[in-house]
Amino acid sequence: MALAGTAAAFSFIATGCSAGDDGGTGEESAAPEVSTDAFDEAMSTPTKLTFWTWVPDIENQVALFEQAYPEIDVTVENVGQGLEHYQKLRSAIESGEGAPDVAQIEYQYIPSFTLTDSLLDLTPYGAADLGGDYVEWVWNQVAVNDGVWAIPQDTGPMGNLYRTDILKEAGYDEAPATYDEYAEAAKQVKEKTGAYISNLAANEPTQLVALLWQAGLEPFGYDGAETVTIDVNSDGAKDVVQYWQDLAQADLVSTDAGWTDNWFQNIANGNYAGWLVPAWGPIFLQGTAESTSGLWAAAPLPQWDAANPVSGNWGGSSDAVLASTENPIAAYELARWINAEPEPTMMFAQEQFLFPAALSVLEDPAFTDAEVEFFGGQQVNKIFAEISATVNPEFQWLPFMEFAYSSYNETVGVALEKKGDAVGALDDWQQQLVDYATEQGFTVQ
Amino acid sequence: MTASISTAGPTGSTGSTGSTARRPRRRRQRSTVLSVLVWALALYFLLPLVWLAIASTKDTGDLFSTFGLWFGDSFALWDNIQGVFTYKDGIFGRWALNTLLYAGVSAVGASFLATMAGYGFAKYGFRGSNLMFSIVLGAIMIPLTALALPTYLLFSSAGLTNTVWAIIVPSLVSPFGVFLMRVYSADAVPDSLLEAARVDGAGEFRTFFQVSLRLLVPGFITVLLFALVATWNNYFLPLIMLNSSDLYPLTVGLAQMQSASTSGGGGEVLFSTVITGSFISIVPLIVAFLFLQRYWQSGLSAGSVKG
Repeated sequence: MALAGTAAAFSFIATGCSAGDDGGTGEESAAPEVSTDAFDEAMSTPTKLTFWTWVPDIENQVALFEQAYPEIDVTVENVGQGLEHYQKLRSAIESGEGAPDVAQIEYQYIPSFTLTDSLLDLTPYGAADLGGDYVEWVWNQVAVNDGVWAIPQDTGPMGNLYRTDILKEAGYDEAPATYDEYAEAAKQVKEKTGAYISNLAANEPTQLVALLWQAGLEPFGYDGAETVTIDVNSDGAKDVVQYWQDLAQADLVSTDAGWTDNWFQNIANGNYAGWLVPAWGPIFLQGTAESTSGLWAAAPLPQWDAANPVSGNWGGSSDAVLASTENPIAAYELARWINAEPEPTMMFAQEQFLFPAALSVLEDPAFTDAEVEFFGGQQVNKIFAEISATVNPEFQWLPFMEFAYSSYNETVGVALEKKGDAVGALDDWQQQLVDYATEQGFTVQ
Repeated sequence: MTASISTAGPTGSTGSTGSTARRPRRRRQRSTVLSVLVWALALYFLLPLVWLAIASTKDTGDLFSTFGLWFGDSFALWDNIQGVFTYKDGIFGRWALNTLLYAGVSAVGASFLATMAGYGFAKYGFRGSNLMFSIVLGAIMIPLTALALPTYLLFSSAGLTNTVWAIIVPSLVSPFGVFLMRVYSADAVPDSLLEAARVDGAGEFRTFFQVSLRLLVPGFITVLLFALVATWNNYFLPLIMLNSSDLYPLTVGLAQMQSASTSGGGGEVLFSTVITGSFISIVPLIVAFLFLQRYWQSGLSAGSVKG
């Protein structure tokens, strides 16, 4: 069944977007499109692939892939997570040896690899036809600058997880719908229960960036060649940060560093009454705050404009094919198959609890209707699936997000932690980013 | 985590041996200040260990909801140990064997090479020996971490990355061991003994292996322990050299488990497993120290009395 579907997907594809201007990295788009014959031949030739990913138990999906294509032998290697993984990937690419065929890459780091022409444009292999299978904003993350650079795997649309018991004690039956209400609720929660309504981790730039994303801002941009857009201190960004700064300074929201012992304890002990967190938050809480089972509920983020609900994204990743691969067809098929076929994608959602990027899973009642005991029987997946549809579709990244994040920690992060002038620190962050970009030879717009 | 043990040992024992040796035993003076200081130090170094031991008896829920230095509501040590050894079909055991292999081979090799080199520097005069020894001294100042990246590039061009040699070969070099063994052999092997051996017709190699090496055992063990701890705890080198989790030592494997727990998408909650794994991973080191302690002490103090 899978075989038939795949072959169809490959038959003579007219790529929609490779014609006109190409952004300087478009060598591959001139490559001939892959015919069914070439595909069949590639998939029935004994081939060894290496796949670097840190998704736990992804061996199960890969095993399904190997069942579908018995001639392809995939070695899965977990070389580290996040930055460690990227550093290894870069050193392997630079040394010209030992790089994998397929690698997991988080959305915000894709530009840093297209910058060095390290990723294969998947358009000639039929990727352009997959656009309709994924949520629009997710597809926009991988299909940029006239190419498709990766296949989406999972996402992290932002919602609000909160403790129903604490909010009830403060007089709320539901999560605040707007940011004004959220600020008011923060006051009530603090007065009546002593808890913080949530924690904005000072060392977690990705959380704040997701909130900027929700506010419809576009702080970053990259044209795929040498021009970047940096606008982290726009009026909009300052409004968002001002809001959180006011709450922090009034001691209604804490700014403790995330992922520390202290932070875990505060979650488990109810010192934080909630967490503005992506769709991977629910499963995370179930593991670390077991004792609070049944007390939580999920809701969309508070809104700036209640009539027009929007959200941002924090996290999630994709699988990209490296330009250095000797087996591009098989490598592409691996990245596509595990992230597009119904069986492996549903498995990601239900066994590894990755929040899906594929519409087929997001719309499947077997996924959305699951009731989660930890959340008092709420259909948490359904809520986040609805949120995913409201994520702002336009959001791009810089080709040096590692620097952007560490620079954030030195400027805005420090200010938030000290409950100082985080709004002013946005200007410092902007300055550091512009300086760095100029130093690296980018044109800053 | 385990670095504290290695530093606690030597600093405690070296200073005092010389001055107390001559006094009659019964009238040994006790200094309150020193006692308090030593106790404070012992507490300082042992507390993390105590925390680790206690934490490894807790399940993840208790870990984040109960006081760190006392037991939680559950006693999950056995479950945790089981979790450690069953995680990913028992890959922890594999990591432990790797660590044992890397640390064992490197430690024996490094101390053997260091003993030969130190002995050579101490007992033979040759052109350039001072210059070479200065280079060795200088090399002590360069941390292994700083050399890791150049080493990576070298190994990469030799096609040796992601093999056991990538860990073992760099760990065979121990400049500090060479330094220690030079000082030690200068005192431990009398020149007259060497002359006697030569007069009796033994070649230089035979003299080294059959006469000198026996006298050098305490020093040898000292270097062995240093090298063992250094390789056992080495994190950065295997981190950049290795890609297959089958080759990881405990340090990198545990760190990977730890980061899997804090990852967002698809995170597994492995905190109690990681903590118990860390605890298990230092037990062999503690055992090695207890067993080799007498060699180790005589090795260090012999140098300090005579030197």
